[in-house]
Amino acid sequence: MHEAGIALNLIEAVEQRLEQHPGHVDAIHVRVGELAGVSTEALDFAFQCLSAGTPLAGARLVFEVIPLTMTCSACGGTNPVEDLVFRCPACGSENTRVTTGRELEVRTLELSEEPEVAHASN
Amino acid sequence: MHQIDVKAGLLEPNDAIARENREFLTAHGIYTVDIMSAPGSGKTSLLEWMIPILAGRYRLAVVEGDIVGNADKERLDGFGVPIYQINTGAACHLDAHMVHPTLHRIVEAGTEVLLIENVGNLVCPAEFDLGEDDVIMLLSVTEGHDKPKKYPLMFRRAGLVAINKVDLLDRTNFDLPSAIASARDVHPGIAVLTTSCRTGEGIDDVVAWLEWRIAAKRAAVDAAPAGAGSST
Repeated sequence: MHEAGIALNLIEAVEQRLEQHPGHVDAIHVRVGELAGVSTEALDFAFQCLSAGTPLAGARLVFEVIPLTMTCSACGGTNPVEDLVFRCPACGSENTRVTTGRELEVRTLELSEEPEVAHASN
Repeated sequence: MHQIDVKAGLLEPNDAIARENREFLTAHGIYTVDIMSAPGSGKTSLLEWMIPILAGRYRLAVVEGDIVGNADKERLDGFGVPIYQINTGAACHLDAHMVHPTLHRIVEAGTEVLLIENVGNLVCPAEFDLGEDDVIMLLSVTEGHDKPKKYPLMFRRAGLVAINKVDLLDRTNFDLPSAIASARDVHPGIAVLTTSCRTGEGIDDVVAWLEWRIAAKRAAVDAAPAGAGSST
């Protein structure tokens, strides 16, 4: 939840990066884990609303949904998490940690050249 | 068209302040627990039981998170323990930024154990690290035994789930073994206790769990290399 706040963080993170590397943002690649607690639809909507009237207006959000996997400390295996059961399916151990599926990050930007800005003639 | 890397975490603004909070609390020897549940599950009632027991053994402080008002603070005011009310105004959860300004007063009061009662909500509090050491959650028997698989984030954040209002078990269709199995599917290793704030059942066990966690933190801090952690 709180996709609006997350969208604001996203806009700020992109703007910060653009200070070092200016350009027109065509697309923003975002990785969202299955267990990140974020709806990509809601995040997309929030971004569209909050970027309106800014240089980021019109940028596409491209989501990569990361599946939920866990790694077992007992047998070392990494397996998908099925039905939200976090015991190791290979050896039954309870000592597992989430390996993928909790991501929430801006990964890359697709930039094109800054469009020519028409200057008012004085 | 060209691509550039960004690699920016989108929860980092909260998490950065949470790390600061955690370092500050640890540097001053304070153990912190964040208590979460749906509204009305019994967080404040649990505190009404636990505070008199713990206050005899540790210097306590309580942070009360509510959207508006100080109804819960008023319930806890009589115990002689400082209660700091935070009103979120509209937000359905506490976050690290909201808690941050209170921490200096908590340290100045010589606090040893900080109990944070979060806003009643099974979803959002689990997403916002405050800088705590542990999370306790409550699930009351009137909420249904299917909740662990519906709210995995919260059940995975909690080190202990207190299944509360067990005095009402025979008035509900709550399947206790199913709820416990489900909680352990989602979070193998989660501690599960049954409690009642009407009869007092299980309260001593919750206190014992907390004291075990306090002792574990103190041992870990004592074992840390000299100079570890910063004081701000």
